[in-house]
Amino acid sequence: MKKQHFKRILALVLTALLLSSALILTGCGEKGDRTLNLFTWAGMFPDELLRDFEKETGITVNYISFDTDETMLQKLQVAEGGDYDLIIADDYIIEVAIKEGLVQKLNKKKLPSIDNVNPLYQGQFYDPTDEYTVPFGAGVQTIVYNPAKVDIDITGYADLWDPALKGKLGIISNYRVINGMALKTFGYSYNTTDIYEINRAGARLTELAPNIRLIKDDNIQDDLLSGEIDAAIMYTSQVTLAKMTDPSLEIVFPKEGIGFGIMGMFVPVNAPDSSAAHEFIEYVLDPERGATCFEWLGYYCTFAASEEHISEDFRSFLTLPDEFNKEDMEMIQNVTAEAEQAHLTNWTMFRSKCK
Amino acid sequence: MSKKRNIAATLGTLPMYLFTIVFVLGPLFLMLALSFFQVDGWSYKAVFTLENYISAFSGTYLQTLTTSLKLALISTVFVILLGYPFGLCTSFLSPRMQKFIMTSQMIPYWVNSLLRLYGWIIIFRANGLLDKILMGLRITDEPLKLLYTYPAVVVGMIYVLIPFMFASVYQVAGRLDYSLIEAARDLGASRTKAFLSVTLPLTLPGLKTGIVHTFIPSMGLFFIADILGGNKIVLTGSLINDLLTKAHNQPLAAALATILMALTGAICILLLRKPEHERQ
Repeated sequence: MKKQHFKRILALVLTALLLSSALILTGCGEKGDRTLNLFTWAGMFPDELLRDFEKETGITVNYISFDTDETMLQKLQVAEGGDYDLIIADDYIIEVAIKEGLVQKLNKKKLPSIDNVNPLYQGQFYDPTDEYTVPFGAGVQTIVYNPAKVDIDITGYADLWDPALKGKLGIISNYRVINGMALKTFGYSYNTTDIYEINRAGARLTELAPNIRLIKDDNIQDDLLSGEIDAAIMYTSQVTLAKMTDPSLEIVFPKEGIGFGIMGMFVPVNAPDSSAAHEFIEYVLDPERGATCFEWLGYYCTFAASEEHISEDFRSFLTLPDEFNKEDMEMIQNVTAEAEQAHLTNWTMFRSKCK
Repeated sequence: MSKKRNIAATLGTLPMYLFTIVFVLGPLFLMLALSFFQVDGWSYKAVFTLENYISAFSGTYLQTLTTSLKLALISTVFVILLGYPFGLCTSFLSPRMQKFIMTSQMIPYWVNSLLRLYGWIIIFRANGLLDKILMGLRITDEPLKLLYTYPAVVVGMIYVLIPFMFASVYQVAGRLDYSLIEAARDLGASRTKAFLSVTLPLTLPGLKTGIVHTFIPSMGLFFIADILGGNKIVLTGSLINDLLTKAHNQPLAAALATILMALTGAICILLLRKPEHERQ
């Protein structure tokens, strides 16, 4: 009886082995096809665009997503700059990846449409000579408020301290942005490493605590739309969603200056198929396809040639206003460990003060 | 025969021991070592320092520990008050009812805990379910704005933790010998007296296990405070998360985690220690 049992199990195991080897073999059969291992946040492209790219080029898109820039960097470090063909991530992490030699220079010959990029977003700190990256979407931190419920006129960060906003304000939980806002009210740089300046701004920030109703990164626009909060500091993609639902909301470009973040596309140094990556970059650099991407993404359009193709509904908040000054923008960069720690301490103190 | 069985037992448990050493003790040791290392840019270097512990015990960071303790204590008290009677009373019911209650206890856990917390947002948010009911019954005139407040967090904590208390109490109460309670009553003890001198002492082990099972996780459940509290209640877990994902300071995160573990460990040892007279 027992023997029979054993035989049955053996038969099962053998069948499983056979099946799996058959699967592996068929997998090998497709080896001739090309694959683009695209590594970025979930939902960065409309599905349709990816499918069209696959149809037109015969390259299969293998979309691998990460949650945070830091996870991306860790995986890229472990893979020693391999495994992935194209990565889209935030500026500050790209700076680190380039410094660690994990990024390869772009082959501009394979990117004839590179001139479609808006020069405003080029030559930035993480890639001063634009050798490694193509900017793909930019975000600014803006103030959005419901004019029906807010009695004061908000023109800059300093107005957020107004007691009229008591318990009405929601903010994102990126402390470099929020502490930076307090720094800006003193006219300091986002990237100051002067601990005195950072702590002075930190003390100022604790005075904002009574106005804070919530701090969160995900879907803060929902709280503005549902009336949980009446004013908020949020990311561009959230501003887009909020404004699409409720056009009466006011968007403010803070008069103290704007903090910028840029997402960049780059090819890892040991990418299995770097030419597939170039083909994809070239594909989205097309003015009309680019416009489709940014409408989908809800971030500022970084391709000048795509701006005119962005539909009227979106253009006002996906492209920068005409009166925009390049001098007013400042990118948030990596700071010294000491400054980073001071920021976190101030941020923790501030959060504890919020009731 | 017994020798053979011994060998079999050793071989059977060996993988578990190896697993524990490699995946539980190993990381704990690494964490302890890391907490004495120095930060170096986004990474760390193996140079001994007490700096991390000094910062961990500085005002702002220490405050997160007291906040965590306070929330854990409040939650545990509520979980005892609600979960203990629930577990005890369930054991008095007919076997069919017991089965029914056990099953209905389990069904919500087929859904991810994060999703269930989002359910509470729907209830608590302005003009949400709770507001609609209260305003419909004319108990309140305007939205309560309960979401993103301390009570909302406590409710979330109770909701997530209560099954642990229920299960521990119910298990012990199920083995309770009712003739002892009857005897106490026959001998003239009042209901209260019978409960205090018979039922409570006999179910105490379940209550204690329940407290441990509630208290330990409650020290670490920072995502509830983040989601339902709007990130305004800074628990040590949340700070550790910030240190790892944003500030790139692993040694300080390790030091805080070590302190947190030592603290919970000490509390558990105190709770689970057998009283003097039971020790022989």
